[in-house]
Amino acid sequence: MDAPDHPAPETHPTPSHQRVWDVPTRLVHWSLVIFVGLSWWSVENKRMDIHYWSGLILLGLLVFRIYWGFAGPETARFARFLKGPRTVVGYVGKLFRPDYRASFGHNPLGALSVIALLLAISIQVGLGLFSSDTDFISAGPLNRHISDYDTVKQITDLHEDFFNVVLAVVGLHIAAIAFYLVVKRINLIGPMITGRRKAGNTDGPPAGIASVSLLRLGIGIVLAVGVVWLIAR
Amino acid sequence: MKAILFAAAAASAFALAACGGGEPEKPAEPTPAADATPEPAAAPALAGPAAMPDTTDVAAYMTARHENYEHLGKNMKVLQDNFRSETPDMAAVAPAAANVKAFADAMGDWFPDGTGPDSGNKTEAKANIWTDRATFDAARAKLAEEAGKLATVADAAAFKAQFPVTGGACKNCHDTFREEEKDH
Repeated sequence: MDAPDHPAPETHPTPSHQRVWDVPTRLVHWSLVIFVGLSWWSVENKRMDIHYWSGLILLGLLVFRIYWGFAGPETARFARFLKGPRTVVGYVGKLFRPDYRASFGHNPLGALSVIALLLAISIQVGLGLFSSDTDFISAGPLNRHISDYDTVKQITDLHEDFFNVVLAVVGLHIAAIAFYLVVKRINLIGPMITGRRKAGNTDGPPAGIASVSLLRLGIGIVLAVGVVWLIAR
Repeated sequence: MKAILFAAAAASAFALAACGGGEPEKPAEPTPAADATPEPAAAPALAGPAAMPDTTDVAAYMTARHENYEHLGKNMKVLQDNFRSETPDMAAVAPAAANVKAFADAMGDWFPDGTGPDSGNKTEAKANIWTDRATFDAARAKLAEEAGKLATVADAAAFKAQFPVTGGACKNCHDTFREEEKDH
């Protein structure tokens, strides 16, 4: 996260870098990586105390990211990057043409991957809220709202199995990034770390995304913390 | 601004909808004072340990053992639900805790030779129960001690303090001697 957001207008007429990802979007992205990993590690190592909190942090990240999909900067917005099937197919057709231009933000196909990831992690976290091992030494924060032992067992088995779906979607995501890196020679990892990419053969405004007010950011943080607090208390 | 508030509402609605299961939920709006979550739902009939059959039929013996542990789990669920509640229902806690103690006292005899994984029957009991019996017995004794404390808690605060300790004594044994269930 070395590149701070620059709210000031660019001084030179043709900036050498285009801002594509804002700080909150990048932070949420890498936090999801960390906490999905931590959730997996903790349950494999029977650290349910860590698993519980890691899941709640994921819930907060998801709430924030969904809010940010409406209130965040251009490249974070669902309405901006979600495209219809015709556009997605059209994008795939253009992928190997010489006049291919890298997208500003998510490409139409990658947008589907974003939705799949958010949905899969949301379902997984949602199931976890109601789950418990059969010994009930520890339980998800909403588990007590399901009194039936066998229903809890079914939800928990589903929670366990659904992790394979999360892994599959993550695997697809990483495979796509590797494809762009190796075949298309486009590094998508760097911009997700620095927020910027070299200006040049890309779509979008030369300077990239505009800044979003701190008030909007604050509302998102309050919302995310509030939802987690309501569920965990 | 209106758009942002809408987005905030939409995001929270999505998050709560994503909670899955379609189970009853807490209200999405913060209602600090008016929230007295009804706790817990009418307790299902809770059982203490059932008498184990003799070991002439090993498979039936192991099934009975498994069912006993399921009943123990159901008692633990009541305790876990009350542990999570702001106001534990001690009238529900007391019989469940007494049952847990009865299970803890009885289960030391439930692992006779020949009722482990090499019997060929499906079981979560690991072979080291029989090869490392001293550790197993010590863990079982620790559970009996902590379950005894749980059965005699005087009030909700004492219950909330003791439940994780007793749970830790269960976990202590499960981590070492219980196989993770892989297929359901």
